[in-house]
Amino acid sequence: MEPQLRPGAREAIFAQLDEAGRAEQVARRLTDAIILGVLTPGERLPSEQELARRFGVALITVRDALVMLRDAALVETRRGREGGSFVIQTDAPHGTLLQSRLRGLAQVELSDLFVYFSTILEGCAERAALRASPADADRLRGWLHTAPGSGAAGARATAGGFLLELAVLSQSPRLVREHIRLQAEFGPLLLLALGDPQARDRVAAGNREIAAAIARGEPLAARTLVADQARELSEWLLAAKTRTERGGPLYAAVATA
Amino acid sequence: MQPSLPPESTDAPVTLASCVAEVSDIFARAFHILGGWRDLIVSAGPVQAAELDALVERLVVPALRGTPRAMTPDPASLMTGAGFIAAPQFVTGREFHFAWWLGPLAGTPLLGTTTAPSRLDLAARVNTEFLRDFRELEWYQVPEATARTHVTGPYVDHLCTFDYVITLTMPVRVGEEMVGVVGADVSVKSLEQVLLPHFLALASPVALVNASGRVVTSTEPSLPPGDVLPNGRHPLADYVQVPCPGTPFLLAMRVRAAPH
Repeated sequence: MEPQLRPGAREAIFAQLDEAGRAEQVARRLTDAIILGVLTPGERLPSEQELARRFGVALITVRDALVMLRDAALVETRRGREGGSFVIQTDAPHGTLLQSRLRGLAQVELSDLFVYFSTILEGCAERAALRASPADADRLRGWLHTAPGSGAAGARATAGGFLLELAVLSQSPRLVREHIRLQAEFGPLLLLALGDPQARDRVAAGNREIAAAIARGEPLAARTLVADQARELSEWLLAAKTRTERGGPLYAAVATA
Repeated sequence: MQPSLPPESTDAPVTLASCVAEVSDIFARAFHILGGWRDLIVSAGPVQAAELDALVERLVVPALRGTPRAMTPDPASLMTGAGFIAAPQFVTGREFHFAWWLGPLAGTPLLGTTTAPSRLDLAARVNTEFLRDFRELEWYQVPEATARTHVTGPYVDHLCTFDYVITLTMPVRVGEEMVGVVGADVSVKSLEQVLLPHFLALASPVALVNASGRVVTSTEPSLPPGDVLPNGRHPLADYVQVPCPGTPFLLAMRVRAAPH
């Protein structure tokens, strides 16, 4: 089944890139999206021209990136009228790729990433609680109820979309832009914990509490709850990194990603 | 941003009423422009997608090239996006059809930077959920339900411009049936450039707020855009609020001392 995602989560995959190592960045962005199920098996990627336009890079850069993805057996390219680059159908989990991505980032980088992520989210939540109208608060809670998808990919889409809504409710275009850039670059990693069913339940419960605090107009409560959640995601990721560095599995108990 | 010029010096003094009239006037003229687009789309009758797109492009793109100037508010120059969104099946064989153009964009996270108006290319976008859902969005759903024009926002547009905007929409009807909406996004920044000189000429602080109390533009520093009136620092009793006819906005003037 095609996961039903809010615009932000999927659009963010294709957000524009920084200058350095652009082909690697394109490949990494798409790899993250594929291994975490944001782009689904069998799905056709936008055309090379369209990818170049969306990422703001040269066509040759996109082609180099697609070569990397083909070498990693993540996409296949078909010729002809119905051709294009397709996400490969595979039953094998992408655990190895995820582990190498996680090992490629230093602990100090990961924890700093969460300091930044948490700071932005706390600001969003506090402002949202100050500024959300009752109708806004209803929509936020409704979004948690109607947000589709089960399993890890669905939970990531829900959480990513919920956090984007928080930014939107802050009424700050800058916070929205920053939030989207951050989710684009690191979103899949930031939400990696959601592959763990227990963490998933805690995050879902946490999101309901955050929405309730915003509905009650309690900025400090909203800020604290969001910070708690960011800390939980951060600690989960650092624990997973420690596990994989020791040669253990990404997910401690049952792997569901 | 333009320096704030004093309102026409020799004319009548600026009053709360004249500021209210200014707000109503800008929106009335913006809706007048939308009305012109609506009429031309209706009179074109059933058309193919390409014809419709060419017509809408001809209508809206000139509006997206202007730059706002204080005190000479051409409402078209306030628009950062505009177009026509067809109801399902209005364009033959198409469940959805967006003929929407965006003004120049500055460093947006998803669409980058552009220097000229560009078409919003939904076909190239990976997300189809948004397409399926657009009929539930306020700017479409309210005109459909009420058969009247509607003003949405201010809100952060997190899909295209990443700007703080107000969206104006007007139903396009053939007989009893709505065949789509014409609409325009007005940036809060542009609107402020036009309204602030009037508001600053008043002796007391004022804030333009929407029906939820959301501040659009204000001369009260402790009540900035995006805040909601009333709030902890600004009880309702401190303000008189005057509706701006033809809009969902109210102009709130502070009648008691500033908060501490």
